[in-house]
Amino acid sequence: MSAAAQNSGGGTVLELERVTIRFGGLTAVSEVDLAVGEGELVGLIGPNGAGKTTVFNLVTGVYQPTEGRISFDRKPHGRLRPHDLTRRGIARTFQNIRLFGSMSVFDNVRVAMQLHRRFGFGEALWRGRLAAKAEGDVAGRVMELLEIFNLGRVRDELATSLPYGDQRRLEIVRALATRPRLLLLDEPAAGMNPTEKAALAQLIVEVQQRFGISVLLVEHDMRLVMSVCQRIAVLEYGRKIAEGTPQQIQKNPQVIAAYLGKEASDA
Amino acid sequence: MEKLMNNGGSNGAKRWLLLGLVLVAVVSAFSGMINRYYLGVLVEAGVNVTLAVSLNLINGYTGQFSLGHGGFMAVGAYLAAKLTLLFGPALPPALQPVLFAGALLCGGMGAALAGLLVGVPSLRLRGDYLAVVTLAFGEIIRVVFQNSPAFGAATGLSGIAPWTNFFWSWSVALVTVYVVLALVHSTYGRGFLAVNDDEIAASAMGINPVRYKVTAFVVGAFFAGVAGGLFAHLKRAINPEGFNFMRSIDVVVMVILGGMGNTAGVVVAAVLLTLLPELLRGFSEYRMIVYSLLIITLMLLRPQGLFGRSSKGGRL
Repeated sequence: MSAAAQNSGGGTVLELERVTIRFGGLTAVSEVDLAVGEGELVGLIGPNGAGKTTVFNLVTGVYQPTEGRISFDRKPHGRLRPHDLTRRGIARTFQNIRLFGSMSVFDNVRVAMQLHRRFGFGEALWRGRLAAKAEGDVAGRVMELLEIFNLGRVRDELATSLPYGDQRRLEIVRALATRPRLLLLDEPAAGMNPTEKAALAQLIVEVQQRFGISVLLVEHDMRLVMSVCQRIAVLEYGRKIAEGTPQQIQKNPQVIAAYLGKEASDA
Repeated sequence: MEKLMNNGGSNGAKRWLLLGLVLVAVVSAFSGMINRYYLGVLVEAGVNVTLAVSLNLINGYTGQFSLGHGGFMAVGAYLAAKLTLLFGPALPPALQPVLFAGALLCGGMGAALAGLLVGVPSLRLRGDYLAVVTLAFGEIIRVVFQNSPAFGAATGLSGIAPWTNFFWSWSVALVTVYVVLALVHSTYGRGFLAVNDDEIAASAMGINPVRYKVTAFVVGAFFAGVAGGLFAHLKRAINPEGFNFMRSIDVVVMVILGGMGNTAGVVVAAVLLTLLPELLRGFSEYRMIVYSLLIITLMLLRPQGLFGRSSKGGRL
């Protein structure tokens, strides 16, 4: 367990130990150690192509690490597939929004709830009293979530017809509907204007506190990352070059070099 | 129909199903008054509705391009026909409906098993590749029947009891429509659409895409098998050529014309495409040309299908 995770009080939720992944000759992520503590908000930053999204894909089981170990709740990932890991409590959003385009806002969230349903194929067909009650409960919880994020009024709109910022928020709502313990946000502020970014920063902190979950945030917008994260890890060329509090990261010469080039840090 | 399946609550939809079945029974009781030729066309339309609506679960809602429906239908047709040929003659007339229902169910189960067999290995494939594999699978089934003396080899089976009537054909069609709609409108069943929309996002939401795809194949194949049984007891004689890949294409055309993932549209298209060749008999040898031209025109005018794809939260 890393020292930082211990500092946050709770136990470690997510832990990466010397994780490496190679695609043919290319080493996309190399020997990365990373831990996210219970209820912690951790940022993962780095220049384009540093391997941030690859880390997300490793954590969510889209890729299997070539070497190293990933564990969630102290249980190793093994060869679990993405939907198994979601069941364990890892949810994510995507860099390029991936909402279900043929479904309404309501159904996008509803479908994420089938994970915890007590009814399946048989009940869907028989539509008995219990199934009806369960469907009612689900609908209630969907609306509750949508209302929290001010999306209740557009419940019947096609998800992809929403304004860009709303689509990003809907993705977060949908991820929360799986009742995660760890939420991975992949560049949630991409394409947002400054006002939307400020609102998003507030939203992320709110989500983390209200739902008591841990958040791992990949983001290019430095101001956003610095303002919401308790701890930040920096990737460059697939390697972790720094980790620490926002203040430490801002002053770290290696990080400045990675972002601004060598001369700037020498000057 | 959206309201009917959702807000109508659990019992609303079932009540509509019962009402529909009663209606079918009543019409069936008076079917003697309908011209035999028209009645035959109507009965066939019911079989086609079952085929198209069940394929729509696989191709439309789940987005897996299958060309195997002819094959699934063949499994159901041969199994059901064989069973009624074996046990039918010895049975008192009162028990015949029981045997027929049992034979249809067995045919459906056999086809469902075939759906499972083709579903599991094919699910690593997508789009065109899946279509090719299901097509090949359908052909294998046909060739297997063509070479089994027990199933009449190339001549097929004949002398099958004429048990498929308006009641059987349309109550199966109603049940199929109910099952598909009840499935895709449930929280569980929205998973089929999620897999279709974005498989990666679906699995990130805890949905197992493989399980949903196999389920779609098994359920779709089951009803194709039942439709096959009905078909056999309607035509009274079946041969392997009747289940070649043109049969699968016919059903795919109904689904595309009706609108992928739009059950109401697919029902209308299935009925329309059954009636059309009959209505065009006046054109005698130009019949199929006119039929094809009509389909081309419809596709040009409404590429999204008669009623369009079920956008707006998947209505219907």
